[in-house]
Amino acid sequence: MVREFELPDVGEGLAEAEIVSWLVSVGDAVTEDQPVAEVETDKAVVEVPSPVNGTVKEILAEEGEMVPVGNVIITFATEEDETASEESGDTESDESEAESAISAVSEVGDEDEDAEAGGTAAKGGRVFASPSARRLARELDVDIAAVEGSGPGGRVSDADVRAHAASDDEEEAVESAVEPATAKVGEDDEEEPAPTGDVARAGRDQTLAAPATRRLAEEESVNLDDVPTDETRDGEAFVRPEQVREFAETQRAAQAADTEAVQAGQEAGAVSTTPEQVDQRETREPYTGIRRTIGEQMETSKYTAPHVTHHDEVDVTKLVETRARLKEEAEARGQKLSYMPFVLKAVVAGLREYPVLNSQLDEEADEIVTKHYYNIGVAAATDAGLMVPVVDAVDQKGLLQLSEEMNELVAAARDRSIAREDMQGGTFSITNFGAIGGEYATPIINYPETAILGLGAIKEKPRVVDGEVVPRHVLTLSLSIDHRVIDGAEAAAFTNTVKEHLQNPELLLL
Amino acid sequence: MVVGDIATGTEVLVIGAGPGGYVAAIRAAQLGLDTTLVEKDAYGGVCLNRGCIPSKALITGADTAHGAASAERMGIHADPAVDMAALSSWKDDVVDQLTGGVEKLCKANGVNLIEGTAEFDGEGSVRVMHGGDGQGSETIEYEHAIVATGSRPIQIPGFEYDEEHVLSSTGALNLTSVPEDLLVVGAGYIGMELSTTYAKLGTNVEVIEMLDSALPVYEDDVARVVRKRAEELGVGFNFGEGASEWEETVDGGVRLTTETDDGEQSTYEADHILVAVGRQPVTDTLGLDAIGLEPTEAGFLESDEFGETDVENVYAVGDVAGEPMLAHKASAEGEVVAEHIAGEPSAMDFQSIPGAVFTDPEIGTVGMTETEAEEAGFEPVVGQMPMNASGRALTMDEPDGFARIVADAETEFVLGAQIVAPEASELIGEVGLAIEMGATLEDLGSTVHTHPTLSEAVMEAAMNAQGHAVHTLNR
Amino acid sequence: MSDTQNLTLVQAVRDGLKGELERDDDVVVFGEDVGKNGGVFRATQGLHDEFGEDRVFDTPLAESGIVGTAIGMAAYGMKPVPEMQFSGFAYPAFDQIVSHAARLRTRSRSRFSVPMTLRMPYGGGIRAPEHHSESKEAFYTHEAGLKVVVPSTPRDTKGLLAASIRDPDPVVFMEPKLIYRAFREEVPDETYTVELGEAKTRREGSDVSVFTWGAMTRPSLEAAEQLEGDIDVEVVDLRTLSPMDWDAIVESFKKTGRAVVVHEAPKTGGLGAEITATIQEEALGYQRAPVTRVTGFDTPFPLYALEDYYMPEAARIEDGIREAVEF
Repeated sequence: MVREFELPDVGEGLAEAEIVSWLVSVGDAVTEDQPVAEVETDKAVVEVPSPVNGTVKEILAEEGEMVPVGNVIITFATEEDETASEESGDTESDESEAESAISAVSEVGDEDEDAEAGGTAAKGGRVFASPSARRLARELDVDIAAVEGSGPGGRVSDADVRAHAASDDEEEAVESAVEPATAKVGEDDEEEPAPTGDVARAGRDQTLAAPATRRLAEEESVNLDDVPTDETRDGEAFVRPEQVREFAETQRAAQAADTEAVQAGQEAGAVSTTPEQVDQRETREPYTGIRRTIGEQMETSKYTAPHVTHHDEVDVTKLVETRARLKEEAEARGQKLSYMPFVLKAVVAGLREYPVLNSQLDEEADEIVTKHYYNIGVAAATDAGLMVPVVDAVDQKGLLQLSEEMNELVAAARDRSIAREDMQGGTFSITNFGAIGGEYATPIINYPETAILGLGAIKEKPRVVDGEVVPRHVLTLSLSIDHRVIDGAEAAAFTNTVKEHLQNPELLLL
Repeated sequence: MVVGDIATGTEVLVIGAGPGGYVAAIRAAQLGLDTTLVEKDAYGGVCLNRGCIPSKALITGADTAHGAASAERMGIHADPAVDMAALSSWKDDVVDQLTGGVEKLCKANGVNLIEGTAEFDGEGSVRVMHGGDGQGSETIEYEHAIVATGSRPIQIPGFEYDEEHVLSSTGALNLTSVPEDLLVVGAGYIGMELSTTYAKLGTNVEVIEMLDSALPVYEDDVARVVRKRAEELGVGFNFGEGASEWEETVDGGVRLTTETDDGEQSTYEADHILVAVGRQPVTDTLGLDAIGLEPTEAGFLESDEFGETDVENVYAVGDVAGEPMLAHKASAEGEVVAEHIAGEPSAMDFQSIPGAVFTDPEIGTVGMTETEAEEAGFEPVVGQMPMNASGRALTMDEPDGFARIVADAETEFVLGAQIVAPEASELIGEVGLAIEMGATLEDLGSTVHTHPTLSEAVMEAAMNAQGHAVHTLNR
Repeated sequence: MSDTQNLTLVQAVRDGLKGELERDDDVVVFGEDVGKNGGVFRATQGLHDEFGEDRVFDTPLAESGIVGTAIGMAAYGMKPVPEMQFSGFAYPAFDQIVSHAARLRTRSRSRFSVPMTLRMPYGGGIRAPEHHSESKEAFYTHEAGLKVVVPSTPRDTKGLLAASIRDPDPVVFMEPKLIYRAFREEVPDETYTVELGEAKTRREGSDVSVFTWGAMTRPSLEAAEQLEGDIDVEVVDLRTLSPMDWDAIVESFKKTGRAVVVHEAPKTGGLGAEITATIQEEALGYQRAPVTRVTGFDTPFPLYALEDYYMPEAARIEDGIREAVEF
């Protein structure tokens, strides 16, 4: 017996996932629950277990391939094949277990079978259900003949119809989750190739122009909305024919330059230029998986929330001393104490005083939601890209506990074993770009949060204290806020509170 | 109008104001649709004006007269004189009351009423020829049209209805005196109802039927009870004979010649010949060609579960939509179509359409017979209760007949019932509900019924099917 | 909340006349067959009986006399509402209309005005004989001093008619007889006015503006619906053709950059030309395509076997919209 295995929904309603690697090969014997593949979803890699005992018959997806949920990715020859005549009892029970494993991952197929096998018989056009139940079925778009009745003799009640409708909805949810993803792929294919010439484009929504100008633009393959102009009419940008011509010229020049560059490269390459060699000048890799998720997140955030970044610096000389002392203490307890727990605490102090930074804009309801809990995301660079594990309830935890939790989360993110839940539910984020280097940045808010604090490197710098230039430990801060919700003054005031707590670490005891 | 033709627009156009049409129109108007109802002569249709209602009024009159005259066993002696003209005028009053009610209801619900005959003009438009003289015609443009033109009695060639010698059922309901002798061609339900009625009023009735039994669409044991009782009332049956020609006699009566398949001829004389050989749908006057809608060979319009025909937005309800040609089916369909047009989740998913014949005793049927159940793939179980075991039937002095329930042996779901008994037309309602609700024999048998009533027979029959009837021998 | 009745457009005319006759004793209604007969289209049914011979009455078949009488009445302060049985019969009265009704205010330096509402059913599509189907609204808009009103719904009809009757100057009230009974609408029982000179956007859209009036509003909306999902069509019902609501037209055009004008009158010299010209004067920079005109043809209105080809219908309007959008 061959058991097909469909890619299950390994996350929360994900439409597709990337097969990272196969842990088995064709011909391998597998036991039930043995991991057979690693699959990467939006932000995590999970193992997919075998649903049966048997041998791997076929592997139907390649490593690196994006597979829609529900596609068959592997087939197994189950033991029933091999020992068909023996131990029929055992194999039967195997089979039924296998069945339940499959049904867990693929409700769609199962329900369809139910519809045929189950359901009250509809002989001679008879349906054993009351008129009101039948009307309800039409209302909920349920085929009453497919509903299994729970009443005497299998009579179908209102409740049976509703239950059936609910299970249909689930199926649809799965199906519709798959569709958009497929559609997206199609759209990507159709997208026009990006213009090669690198020319400044105005990119307006509305441009006024005389009909003749519009015609010229069309002939020159110029988008009027891209043509730069200073002139306005009725408060809208107005473009003249000369400007269209000029823009078209610039565009052509840029394209020519591109072509030249490519040709030059080809000539420099070799006598006989092969496509591969041209390709070596640039490499292409698919924009999928975590990279794409990050990209889309960034895009949403930056295009939705108007960012303002507030920069400041804080003298953390005292903090450096304090941490140095406590570090030993922590090490004695088996903990590695970084500055981050202090920053987490200082941020919570700031958020308490300026709760608007711990908020979210509910665009649908047109309401600003202020969170009275403090789950803080800590951005971590990993091999696969940026991840933001979330430390829950920071206000209720001590430095050591925070340190421990954070280190664990970051480690999990780096080896990509982190659970999706551990990267959700944040109310504010911190990014420590200084760990790699740099003083100031313009961090992008972890949307739909409304603020993110970027930390530069702590460096010793000459600073004036009491009229004297002395070496001090200085930490630079870059706070980005969603200006729709938070005003610049609030951002500055919040930063001041954070600074105060980092400057005088004993305040953190309060 | 000499100056042009301004079309009147309407969302729903209903053609025919019978029990299918007027119900559809009222429901559509109630659901907020702009509705226009076209009727050529009488609101209420055949049923109210020339069918169910007047015939039931006559039957009641005949029963009353006959009951009084045949109660010697109870010590009652009477010889009632029947004033047929008065009986007929009482009947007309009943009809007027009901049809007037229909018109009022339509108006109260905002239905626009137009008198005339509608003919399709093209897609989305009909031409209505007004009834009265000089009234001309007008064009109605519709978004949805509901055809509810009903049916008319079938005519046998050579037997055109003059309603004097050759009567249709309509004419038979409007006689002003009780005929001495009546010939009835056709032993279907209309023929049997009117034969029984006039026999009770004292007429000598002879029934001519081409087939070899009365009420051929019913099961033999059902039909037999009615036929036997009719014979007791003096109705003569002549099976296997077809009416071939008739002539007027010198005294103004009729002489009918019939012929068997073998060519054997017989003649009968009477005051009138009633021809009741069935009804045919009225679809030939509608100009259906103009919208490309083709009726079946029998003249019906095929429609789906929402009543929609092959032409989009044109619906059929009632007799034009197919058998059974019954008023209550028409009304039920009319309601579904109106609701469907208004976007409600209605559909014609009736599990059964009950039928009744107002003979003596009455016949009430619903759902499947035992044979039909077998054909549908069930393994039927049947339970029966003879009316002579019913205390109520005996006290009414009407012990003929029985109640029978058909159910599925495995699930005990009630599938059908055939009742031939006094008030069978009423008794059948309970079983109809049982079928629609998906009730089981247990449900029916365990429902406590009033004693002493005829309805106990239904309960007993159900229990009999389960093998634990108390008042009948279990099979 | 006041009560309403579900009325057709012609019933709304009658209801509007009744309301004004009740409201103002100076209002008089007259014309050919308007009195006892109740009008060829039943627009004045029952009014003669209700208001009597002095208020609602029949006239001889003499259009010039009907309008001349009305002008005289109006100059003396009455509010006459004469009817031209069909707009095609108005030409004998044309001199009265353009030379006197339209000019009296100017001529007398406002000592006299002509508060007359000249009702006339107009337009084709009803299988009528010659001279019964034309759309000559442009004649009247060309004459300064006249207001020209064309309703397209029962509710507007009553309100616009009341506003016309109450207006101190002559109004040519053109009733699209094709849709006299085409559909019903809830119309308030009480009297009310709909401001003259205000267009009404019947359907919002962003890709193209359709400007139309009268009986062409329905097929325009139908075409817009057909194109839904493909082209987002705005439909503006102009309602008053003189004075025209230029602001509404230009505003809608600036939004969409494309326009289609739909009228059943012939193309040449039709109002579509005026609308097109004004758009170019006022919003040239916004224009993305030539203005398309979907109109009747430059021929006499045909007899009825061909009138369906002559009248713009939804499919032709759809083509016109596509032409504008796909330029």
